[in-house]
Amino acid sequence: MSKFRVVHYINQYFGQIGGEEKANIPPSCKEGPVGPGMAFKAVLGNEAEIVATIICGDSWFAENLDEAKAKVVEMIAQYKPDLVITGPAFNAGRYGTACGAVAEAVSQELEIPVVSGMYPENPGAEMYRRFALIVETGDNAAAMRKAVPAMGKLALKVLKGEQLGTPKEEGYIPRGIRENYFAPDRGSKRAVDMLVAKLKGEEFHTEYPMPQFDRVDPNPAVADISKAKIGLVTSGGIVPKGNPDHIESSSASKFGKYDLDGIVNLTAETHQTAHGGYDPVYANQDADRVLPVDVMRDLEKEGKIGSLHRYYYATVGNGTSVANAKRYAAEIAQELKNDGVDAVILTST
Amino acid sequence: MDLENQARIKELAEKHGPENLVVILGGAEAEASGLAAETVSNGDPTYAGPLSGVQLGLPAYHIFEDAIKSLVDPQVYDDQISMMEMVLDVDEIIKEVSTYREQYRKF
Repeated sequence: MSKFRVVHYINQYFGQIGGEEKANIPPSCKEGPVGPGMAFKAVLGNEAEIVATIICGDSWFAENLDEAKAKVVEMIAQYKPDLVITGPAFNAGRYGTACGAVAEAVSQELEIPVVSGMYPENPGAEMYRRFALIVETGDNAAAMRKAVPAMGKLALKVLKGEQLGTPKEEGYIPRGIRENYFAPDRGSKRAVDMLVAKLKGEEFHTEYPMPQFDRVDPNPAVADISKAKIGLVTSGGIVPKGNPDHIESSSASKFGKYDLDGIVNLTAETHQTAHGGYDPVYANQDADRVLPVDVMRDLEKEGKIGSLHRYYYATVGNGTSVANAKRYAAEIAQELKNDGVDAVILTST
Repeated sequence: MDLENQARIKELAEKHGPENLVVILGGAEAEASGLAAETVSNGDPTYAGPLSGVQLGLPAYHIFEDAIKSLVDPQVYDDQISMMEMVLDVDEIIKEVSTYREQYRKF
């Protein structure tokens, strides 16, 4: 039987071209294994071989993302591999991101499986874990000794079409894929067993790990609020009556920007909430309860604040993913900054 | 071990013959010192440098080890090294370096 064909993607450092001073080299291609590929050769044995190695500078990749992906994929495709290995990148951020981006492009465009290796906190792992089996490694290159056998073993399993176990069993970072299976015990019993184990101080594994959210440090206080231009932004779904932009009541796919010029009070005739998942009666009766335009106008009149920004922004927080919320926030914040808004009041349901 | 130093050691081994070389390390930390000892004997375990897959088999000692320390003028050692000896984990460093040295040395 002929050997499985593998192409290996590495950066300029592991490609033995050089360190940071060579990080701006464009992708190049060498036949056979280079650098860590030599270690993979020992693990892959007679069953698979690295037919080519693609080397690209980390900075070049990051600065020319689309071009880099296209070029690397083109090079990889020439060799008709059965599998692609990227990295391992350990905790190197740009390298990890490049390894992940290559994995995304290869798995999407060439439909070839990818095995990679990263430290779990490498940003590339979080961004691209859906597109590769990313073996969990230590945070620096000294972890190569352990990373290569683990990645090689997983690669062979994939190549031979063997059934993969759970991420925990196989040692890769979860891709976020759910698979149904029959558990011997019902949920309530499993939950109580877990609780008992926890109380006894024994090891237990949650069936529903919580996502990890980043924390945002508050900005410094506004120097003089009586001169500040204040914006209103809400995830409470307050929209003009009739919801003109059709913002969804759950898992919103957009946000709206609405004019407050001349409006001193939101009423049941002018505004409503688009938000699902809670009793909307009181928000619909008087939308100021969620988006306090009336109070802001009072403060503006009393000189307590400089002014209320002419536009407010609204989306629905119900079931909206963190990634989308982040994206809306970035766009909204940019517009507010461009409009010279000094501070924002965020309200929710 | 950085790429330039790997290249230098490779060059020295080619010039003088590996049987005529001993590497003396001054690393401040056990893992890094062990990594260097492994690199000059069994090859670069990170597969990044010129010594990837190159087994020079050179014995590496840390300057703290008695075998080397006893060869140094006590006054010089006192001036240059003894301060660091007080603050670093000497036992752990020596253990790590000697483990790799004894496992992979050819000379």
